[in-house]
Amino acid sequence: MSQPGCASPIPAATLLEYWLGELDEAQEGRLDEHLLGCGHCSANLQSLVDVAGEVRAAVSAGAVHAVLTDAFVKRLAAQGLRLREYRVPHNGSVYCTVAPEDDLLITRLDAPLTGVERLDLEHLGEDPGLERLRDVPFDAAAGEVVYTSRIERVRALPATTLRVRLLAVAPSGERLVGEYTFHHTPHRPGGSR
Amino acid sequence: MGVNDASDHAGLDDAALVRRIAAAPGGGDVAAETELYHRLAPRVRLYGLKHLRDGQAASDLVQQVLMLTLERLRAGKLRDAERLVSFVFGTCRMMVLDLRRTGARRERLLDRYAGDVPMADPAASPRLDRARLIGCLERLSERERSVLVMTFYDDQPARDVAVALGLSEGNVRVIRHRGLERLRDCVMGGGPS
Repeated sequence: MSQPGCASPIPAATLLEYWLGELDEAQEGRLDEHLLGCGHCSANLQSLVDVAGEVRAAVSAGAVHAVLTDAFVKRLAAQGLRLREYRVPHNGSVYCTVAPEDDLLITRLDAPLTGVERLDLEHLGEDPGLERLRDVPFDAAAGEVVYTSRIERVRALPATTLRVRLLAVAPSGERLVGEYTFHHTPHRPGGSR
Repeated sequence: MGVNDASDHAGLDDAALVRRIAAAPGGGDVAAETELYHRLAPRVRLYGLKHLRDGQAASDLVQQVLMLTLERLRAGKLRDAERLVSFVFGTCRMMVLDLRRTGARRERLLDRYAGDVPMADPAASPRLDRARLIGCLERLSERERSVLVMTFYDDQPARDVAVALGLSEGNVRVIRHRGLERLRDCVMGGGPS
């Protein structure tokens, strides 16, 4: 039980499985004991936990762009985060803004996704930070694509119109699944959403 | 109280520290106790976070386990110094059950021993650069980012992320492992270029 080094270091993937409770009871017990006795492996686990904590903090701060799910968004709301959500009908448009008190910006695109194997999300317009997001995850049965955008980036936008397209990608080519328009205006105190 | 400097003990393995503490009954070797405390506290805290999922409870566990451990060592009741890990492990398991049941023992122990053992904040680990981490997250593929965000936000196992995203559990594990490796390489390597 000395500080440096480890004769049988635990792989990062196993450490993550341990942390997430994916190991069986016997495996978990063995790792519990190993980690209590091994500074090297416990430091590796700590670095992984630190990364997880920072990812959590970044998401809570609206600093991460990511495709999510409806259930995940509900968990965010249940934890007290202030969400500004816009649902855009298939091939529809929406007027939108972001207020200073909003923690996260959630966009829901209604889309017919049955039969789609790969989906790309393409941003058109004046948002230079985002272009084409390839192979975004989606649940076809849900009939929607849910994502969060980097909220500071959106806050900084002037009044503008942005377009997003969903594209189904197949070996035979790609087809347009839906096109969505966002009429963005900067937040005005006392103004309507 | 002993006069040894903590740096004298940094090169000793844990069993040697146990023997030093046992040879100085009544908390006589403060430096050895401090060194052992600093080694064990982060590991016990991780154990607590894993099994209690609460930072304050994990900190309580650290105090309780190390108080009992040092008390046992001071009294020379751990006959085999090489059995330290087994003792700490057993104590952690017992205390976690206890913490889940009641906080009464904590109050009792803190009243009895507060100020009598070297205390430190084992939660204080080096912080990651969040801006760098966000930049590195942006470099991941959409699937990697979604899987890592949904995994780390509230420690979701692969099974649950797979159901949410309409993927297989095995696929989520592969994406998660690849994404985590890329993220850590990027963060540790100085951030996105």
